[in-house]
Amino acid sequence: MDSITYADATGALSSMWLLVAIPAVSAAVLLLLGKRADKWGHWLGVAAVLAAFGLAVTYFFQLKGLDNRSAALNLFEFIHIGGLEVNVGLLFDPLTAVFVLLITGVGFLIHVYAVGYMSHDPGRRRFFAYFNLFVAAMLLLVLGDNYVMLYAGWEGVGLASYLLISFWYERPAAATAGKKAFLINRVGDVGFALAIFLMFATFGTTDYAKVFNGVLESEAGQTVSAGVLLALGLLLLLGACGKSGQFPLQTWLPDAMEGPTPVSALIHAATMVTAGVYMIARSATIFNANETAQTVVVSIGALTLLIGCIIGCAKDGIKRVLAYSTVSQIGYMFLAVGLGGGAYALGIIHLLAHGFFKAGLFLGAGSVMHGMKDQEDIRRYGGLWKHMKITWATFGLGWLAIIGMFPFSGFFTKDPIILSAFNREGWTGWLYGGAALLGAGLTAFYMTRLFVLTFHGKPRWEMEKHGDHHADGDEAHHAGIKQTADGRDIQHPHESPLIMTIPLIVLALGSVFAGYLMSTSVVDWLTPVLGDAPEEHGRLSHGTVTVLTLGVVVIGAAIAFLLFRNGTELVERPARTHIVRAARNNLYADRFNELVFELPGRLLTRALVWVDNRGVDGIVNGLAAAFGGGSGRLRRLQTGYVRTYALSILSGAVLVVAALLAVRLG
Amino acid sequence: MTVTDVLVCALGAVSLGAAIRVVTTNQIVRAGLWLVVALGALAGVYLVLTAELLAWVQVLIYVGAVVVLMLFAVMLTRAPIGRSDDLDRPRLPAILVGGGAGLGLAAVLADAYRWSYIGLSGVEPGNAEALGREVFTGWALPFEVLSVLLLAALVGAIAISRPEVGERREES
Amino acid sequence: MNDIQLPPIDYAALLPMLIVFGLACVGILAEAFVPRKHRFAVQATLTLAALIAGLVTVIINRDLEVTTIGGAVTIDGAGLFLQGIILVLGIVAFGLIAERRLERGGAFVANAAHAADSDGDKKQLNEAGATEIFPLTLFAIAGMMLFCVSGDLLTMFVALEVFSLPLYLMCGLARRRRLLSQESALKYFLLGAFASAFFLYGVALIYGYAGSVQLVAIKQSVLDSDKSGVLLAAGLALLAIGLLFKAAAVPFHVWTPDVYQGAPTPITALMAACVKAAAFGGLLRVFNVAFETTSWDWRPVITAVAMATMIVGSILAVTQTDIKRLLAYSSIANAGYLLVGVVSLGGAVGSSMFYLVAYGFSVLAAFGMVTLVRDADGEATHLSRWAGLGKGSPLFSAMFTIIMLGFAGIPLTSGFSSKFALFSSAWDANQSALVIVGVLSSVVLAFPYLKVVVLLWLNPPGDETPTVSVPGYLTRAVVGVGVLATIVLGVAPSWLLDMVNSAGTFLAK
Repeated sequence: MDSITYADATGALSSMWLLVAIPAVSAAVLLLLGKRADKWGHWLGVAAVLAAFGLAVTYFFQLKGLDNRSAALNLFEFIHIGGLEVNVGLLFDPLTAVFVLLITGVGFLIHVYAVGYMSHDPGRRRFFAYFNLFVAAMLLLVLGDNYVMLYAGWEGVGLASYLLISFWYERPAAATAGKKAFLINRVGDVGFALAIFLMFATFGTTDYAKVFNGVLESEAGQTVSAGVLLALGLLLLLGACGKSGQFPLQTWLPDAMEGPTPVSALIHAATMVTAGVYMIARSATIFNANETAQTVVVSIGALTLLIGCIIGCAKDGIKRVLAYSTVSQIGYMFLAVGLGGGAYALGIIHLLAHGFFKAGLFLGAGSVMHGMKDQEDIRRYGGLWKHMKITWATFGLGWLAIIGMFPFSGFFTKDPIILSAFNREGWTGWLYGGAALLGAGLTAFYMTRLFVLTFHGKPRWEMEKHGDHHADGDEAHHAGIKQTADGRDIQHPHESPLIMTIPLIVLALGSVFAGYLMSTSVVDWLTPVLGDAPEEHGRLSHGTVTVLTLGVVVIGAAIAFLLFRNGTELVERPARTHIVRAARNNLYADRFNELVFELPGRLLTRALVWVDNRGVDGIVNGLAAAFGGGSGRLRRLQTGYVRTYALSILSGAVLVVAALLAVRLG
Repeated sequence: MTVTDVLVCALGAVSLGAAIRVVTTNQIVRAGLWLVVALGALAGVYLVLTAELLAWVQVLIYVGAVVVLMLFAVMLTRAPIGRSDDLDRPRLPAILVGGGAGLGLAAVLADAYRWSYIGLSGVEPGNAEALGREVFTGWALPFEVLSVLLLAALVGAIAISRPEVGERREES
Repeated sequence: MNDIQLPPIDYAALLPMLIVFGLACVGILAEAFVPRKHRFAVQATLTLAALIAGLVTVIINRDLEVTTIGGAVTIDGAGLFLQGIILVLGIVAFGLIAERRLERGGAFVANAAHAADSDGDKKQLNEAGATEIFPLTLFAIAGMMLFCVSGDLLTMFVALEVFSLPLYLMCGLARRRRLLSQESALKYFLLGAFASAFFLYGVALIYGYAGSVQLVAIKQSVLDSDKSGVLLAAGLALLAIGLLFKAAAVPFHVWTPDVYQGAPTPITALMAACVKAAAFGGLLRVFNVAFETTSWDWRPVITAVAMATMIVGSILAVTQTDIKRLLAYSSIANAGYLLVGVVSLGGAVGSSMFYLVAYGFSVLAAFGMVTLVRDADGEATHLSRWAGLGKGSPLFSAMFTIIMLGFAGIPLTSGFSSKFALFSSAWDANQSALVIVGVLSSVVLAFPYLKVVVLLWLNPPGDETPTVSVPGYLTRAVVGVGVLATIVLGVAPSWLLDMVNSAGTFLAK
């Protein structure tokens, strides 16, 4: 590959900082105005994203007209220290462009949907503030022209995601899920941060262009050892796994569904969780330079896609199943970008198509829950198609798209990935291809199960006739037409208001046509960034794989249909096999994390607290005194004895002196 | 072994023994009095090493002022004069750490100097004149700043200890 | 007697310190002669004038590089920059110390001698506070300034005492929670004296090795001394302990939470910002000038101390439930990050100084805001009392959030840029292990901060949520400056980084 240069931004593109600034300003206004903005705040939030979308479209056409297909905008010097120079700079190139369009476009639809979905929530203004904050951070993530900017956006989306998962703080599960997401993401962030330092130490810069050119030069001249490149790749991958919920850091993502549904749709399905894929695609040069790193990416992708599918089959919460399907679909994307070469673009188009159909599915799920009094359990749905026709239709299109049925979008984006996996050199091609194919079948199975149990079969929600479910029936009957707070009654499912269904319809159209439209055009569009797709002469032809995949999909869907068309039992059946038990327990991933990360951390904390005991005792006593309020109680306050402190200082001193002498004499 | 050596060793032993008593006795006034012995013996060591000014300063300030002040403080705060059981006896970890540190440092110093001998004959006696010259030439700044330190200490002492203005009038 | 001759003195070089020391003495006179009614105004003006005049003279001196008064003072680029940092942060902290609108009579008590909760103590609750704190603050700041430019260990020790003593005293002057305050003062004093003894012992051993206490002479002696290196190593260790105590490094940190909690919050702020700058200024100077050539000996040990400090500080911060203690543990962890800069020596001096500035401003704003959350008993520092403050006081909560995000090292705040700069230079100096531990610990440390953010915004307010007092203009200025600095240094830190890098390093001649 030739050395990489980015042309300076000219014309309208020189104002691309507005993309980040508009949602950020809107978020600040919403937060700072407080209650004063309660009435119109959500519309400001929607308008900010719409404005960003408008700008994105303008920039997109600008970019199309440029020869170099890139526009770099250097805003100002950020950090200049020693040999390191980091600038605040933005880069708009084809890869960024598709992400910006996805984020602002799908983001806009989800914002509109959220106006309806959150209409009864007293914290709606705050919600939109965080939502806009997220959009700003996500745009910064994809627009930055160096890894530090990418990291800035990375942390920003993490923060927004943390705030939004914990949004319904009164639910303990939400608070725990937020904490979990935060902690697991931080594990990934460590990898990313260290990658940045390593990059700086190796190349003296973190700018995309310079780092990539450095990698290319080193490939030619062997200036950088393969070990460093491998470490760089693996550290970046650790970061990507954390953010994108890939093995072994996947457990936070399903729990993150405790947040409001629009959050699940935008952040935990369409955009933020795909940041890892973006990062790997962006760092294509680094991964191309090291085959081991690529193999690890592929393996993680293949493993995760199977994990997601298997657990997805065992879950009963509508959002949980969708969450695991997200994990699994991102696994496909990792698989694709790990394959390298032409498969990078396949990963990206699958990401885009997934952004549409998964957002649509989540919003559909939200619509179902909206009409079912927040009931999440698919065993307690059934026959809903009669009551919410629009949701049923749009959800159905999303379902066909995700299982990869011809001619829906998943077909055009997933099949090529399976094909590329089969065509990987060596025996591993069979392995990864087989995994991807199996995944496709399992996806068809559990998504069909979800669809059938939710919308078809006998209604199982009517069986719930407890006396205490006595709601205002009259109003509920009209709820299908009118949107009111009290319309939500479990016994009277109803269609959601227009403001929620219109985004559903648009996204459904996207999941129908996006795949076909993007399958060639976007691949060409991305060529300047990701390199040409080499002509593939694989062991399996395109036709063979298509037939195989469709066959597997149909079989999977048929089995699910036959098993579940008559509904299912309302209680969980005892697990007879190990695999079912394991799947229901998320394949023991939580326990794994507990053992590997949490337990040592907890033990360390406990040990430190024990050592620091006096101080901590002090707090407890101090608290008792502070809460007692009476200053008389303060008399009893004793925060550790000075002599204990002196002793610990003296012990430390002995240690330090002894250590220094040991070094000196040793 | 000269007379000087014997004297230094003897005074050192007295000082050490008294110091141990300071931390082991359970009568706080006695601890203060043992401190007098320890510090006084140290003054003797200085004297033997020809640092006469230092020796007298040691006696004046530490034995004369500091310990007296401490005893005053003990009496004024109505602490028990006699035996007090709650006076913390050194416990094992403290003995280990303190003793280890002391012995370790002693070993380090002994090892550092081994048996090197520095004759006292060539050394300028540490009298007032020599010290004064040093203080007003090389150490002028630290010396002056020390006066600032004392001033700050004085102001601080007043700030934390002065009675309420007007309080006395009310009382009388 | 005619042979006594003062060493040549460069008064211009000493001027900043002379001004602050001098006006502190004037302040004491004012305490004696100005009528009680006007004393506060006079003292406050005097203090501010002294700090500003000191800063101006430091700026005028900025290109000075001189060793004066018999080698006791070394004025150099880094030293002047540190003096500047201390003065600037001191000016900001002054805003908190002089604030009298939050509480009648200010944050300090009038007569500290009253036993806690005695009748006299209760009576003085509404009396104007002691004005001696102003000259004491000036003494402390002047001592810190001298500490950063000391050319020999003895001057350094005296300077250490000059800035410590007023702090010990001021810790005991809190208006509320008198007992806690007195206890913290006593603890700080006793342990500080203990640490001073280590320092002195170290000085003695080093003198035994080098035959001099001048930093430059020590460096020279490493090359040509015939004494046992054991003396140097032991002396260095003891010296370092004295300094690490002031810097609150593990395992010499035990005093920090208690003292930070008990001291009047403005003094805690002064300690967290200025003392940290001074202590690390001293550490940087000692290690860069005197012991640079022996770095093979001490590096492993100080590295271990730095790691322990980062880990212990960040993990224990997670378990805290009192905002002042939380900030205390975070200051311990930050001391660990700064030690990374010390270990990295020359190349990291600039980024360490940048870190001190960035951290100082944020921590001043943080403590400034702690003084605002009050209930009938004074400051409500327990975290549970902070729940849901975002509802009633969005501006306050937004600003506190910015500070917390800054501490957590979220990009676009000064916490990120300073950590990034520091870790980059450390990585450059081949301290990758320290950087890895640093990144890990800052990841852990982010958690308690974000917990506070969630607490502020997402938790429901309790029954007795304290009010956020309307700040007086002084506190308002402090908080505003701190938050602004956190953002500006996060978004566009390059001008200050240029400044620290062009400030030069320590003069080692």
